[in-house]
This record gives sequence, structure tokens and C-alpha cells, in this order.
Amino acid sequence: MSTLKVEIVTPEAPLWVGEATALVARSSEGWFTVLPQHMDMVGDVVPSVVRVDTLEGEIAIAVHGGFFQVGPGEGEEETLATVLAGIAEKVSEIDVARAQAAKDSAEAEIAADSRNERETTTSVMARAALERAELRLSAAKA
Amino acid sequence: MAGGQERILRRRIKSVQSTRKITKAMELIAASQISRSQARIVANRPYRNGMRRIIVEAAKADPAGAAKLLAMPEHVETAIVLVLTGDRGLSGAYNSSAMRAGERLVRKLEGEGSAVRLYSVGKKAGAFYRFRGIDVAEGFVGMSDRPTFDDARRIAATVAAPFIAGEAQQVLLVSTRFLSAATQSVEVEQLLPLSLPALPEDGTPTGLKGYTEFEPEVEQLLITLAPKALESEIFSALLEGAASFHVSQQRAMAAATDNADELGQNLSRIMNRARQDSITTEIMEIVGGAEALRSGK
Repeated sequence: MSTLKVEIVTPEAPLWVGEATALVARSSEGWFTVLPQHMDMVGDVVPSVVRVDTLEGEIAIAVHGGFFQVGPGEGEEETLATVLAGIAEKVSEIDVARAQAAKDSAEAEIAADSRNERETTTSVMARAALERAELRLSAAKA
Repeated sequence: MAGGQERILRRRIKSVQSTRKITKAMELIAASQISRSQARIVANRPYRNGMRRIIVEAAKADPAGAAKLLAMPEHVETAIVLVLTGDRGLSGAYNSSAMRAGERLVRKLEGEGSAVRLYSVGKKAGAFYRFRGIDVAEGFVGMSDRPTFDDARRIAATVAAPFIAGEAQQVLLVSTRFLSAATQSVEVEQLLPLSLPALPEDGTPTGLKGYTEFEPEVEQLLITLAPKALESEIFSALLEGAASFHVSQQRAMAAATDNADELGQNLSRIMNRARQDSITTEIMEIVGGAEALRSGK
């Protein structure tokens, strides 16, 4: 039986590692699904919700941008799919109130900064924070 | 006279003992931090290795694009040197060996005719380099004990900016690598242009089937990949630096505690002898006085 091993990894720690039946994610060229025996593939992951289907159910993970690699795993028939993300979290663990607060403060910062002619580091950071907050909110709602 | 000396010694013993209490406490704290920071290195490894695997994969698929991204320029007009040290002292040679290696590197680059722009992590580096007449373009402080990925990201953005703008042709990193709990060593590595990592031989085989699909195209992917790889490398270096710092501090504080023990022992020996001396003298005086009285009768 061919199997699929999925690893969702952040710099701080592996977030989720285990056997899966499918991995659904979105690269800059669109959605893709990885099943066991998938061909070797390398690409990016745009900020989106990555879904891992397992025999016990599906797990949704908000990935705030990263990369993925599909290749042969350790066993004969194993396929290994690795998602590398700077920031990622399980959708079930998203704190909606905190995300909303982060969104509000990021928006306020961008508004305060918009008077400057040139884009400052703060507003770049704030925009990134806003994107993260928006992804968290939409992921939690879905 | 003799009693005065005893008092002075007693005071010194007390101060040695209270110093020992501090060094012992620092030793224990450092020891508890070692295992925590080591665990963080282990937890980071899958990400770092995964990132390296992807870079190698992409470079294999697009040697021309990779060569452009990874090639060394013929002449390095300006080099950026990033030195990783700690925020705190009392850690043996941890800070000074990294800072000295950084200084040697700067002198060597200047000798080769390159201008050098120095960035540092850790409070200690600023004063050290200022004293030696080397400007620190920017110093990052307050992150060396428990570095976060955000810290790494900030540092990466700062050191990469001049490189991207074409103001600098090379970025070098001086840091203490945590080889094991027993060995740490200061190493100089090239961050930019990215140096292709050597993959561990026992790692997962890559591209066995001979063909890898890329999404987006590999040329595009390499460009987005490079800054992320830089962040990842800096983060690993920060984590290893923190662990090395704690090991170094634990070792230094254990030695200091031993020294305090020895010093206290010696001092109390001297104090006991002084006390004994003063008692003997006193008895001699009494006996002498009694003798004098008797013979005077």
C-alpha cells in the first residue's frame, strides 16, 4: 500500500506530522492536491488554508506563506510532502478576538502611516500583520 | 592588632561566600537554559533541512539561474559582516572569541581592499568595536537569549537590503556554532550570495525519479526562495548562538564557584591560624605577667 506522509513545519517546531490520505494547498499557480505516489514537485505556498485529509478526519492549517516539496519518503512506497512555513497555525486554535484586535491595530497603523510619502518599515510590517489577521479571520469563519 | 586581622578575614570570607552564592545560582540557571535552547535547535532542524533541500533541488533544476544567484562577484567592493554575540557577560570566552574572530575578518577584508560594513547582535559587540575604531552600522540587542523567528527576519531584512540594492557584494556571518554540548566553535560563513548547503548523506534522497515539477517556474521560485533561506540560516545561527552562550556561561560559573570554594577554604585556614596566634599570644602574656609578679615578690 502506498502511503503519504505530511509534515507541516515552522522554524520554531514541526506543527503537524503524520500519515495522510491527501494534502490540499495553494501555490502561486493555483490549488493543488497531493495524493500518495505524487510526482516530485517543489513550489511555493501562498497565504491560505492548507487541508490535510487523514483517516481520522481533516485538519485545516492556516499557512502564512511558505514553500513545499513532494518527494520520496523513507519507506518503499511512501511519498513525503513537506510544507515549510514561516508562520502557520491550526485553524482550530485561532483566537478570533485576538485576530480581530490585530486587524484593527494594523489598519490604524496603516492609516496613520499613509500621510508619509514613502512607505516606511512600520507600514510594511503593518500590512503583513493585516494580511495575517485577515487570513486568520476568514479561516476561522469557514 | 591580631584581633583586627581576624575581623578583616571574616569579612572577606563572607564576601567570597555571597559571591559564591551568586555564581552557583547563575550556574544552575544556565544549566536549565541549556536543555531548553538545545530543544529549540532540534525543533528547528526539520525546517532548516527542508529549506536547504528545496534550494538544492531548485539549483539542480536551474543551474544557470542558480549560478547567477549564487556566484561570487570577481571583486568585493563592500562586504557586510554580521557578528553574533550575547547580551550578557560572565560567560567565559563566548563573546570575546566571536568578537575577535569578527575583528580578524574585518581586518582581512580591509587588507584585500574591500570596504566593510559591520552589523552586530548582542550588547557586548558595540563597545568592543567602538574601542577598536570599527563602526557598527546597526546593533541588535535584547534577543540573544531567546531569539524568535521575527528577530531573524528583521536581521535578514537589514543585512540583505544593501546587498539587494547593489551596495554590497557579499554578506558574511561570524557566529558560534553549537556542534554538541561539549564543543562549540566560532565559524565564518557566507550568507550572501547564498552558499549551497552540503546535504547530510543520510538525508532523504532527492529527485530519485529524476524529474521534478516546479510551481511556479524554477527561475521565479529561486528569487522568492533566497530571502527565506537567508532568514532560516540566520535563525538557526541565533538558536545555536543562544545554546552556546548558555553552555559557556554554565561552564564559566561552575569554575567561578569552584574558585570561590577554594578561596573560602584558604581564607578560613588563615583566619583560624590568626585566631590561634592571638590566643597563644594572650596566654603567653598572662603567663608572662604571672611570672613577673611572682618573681617580683
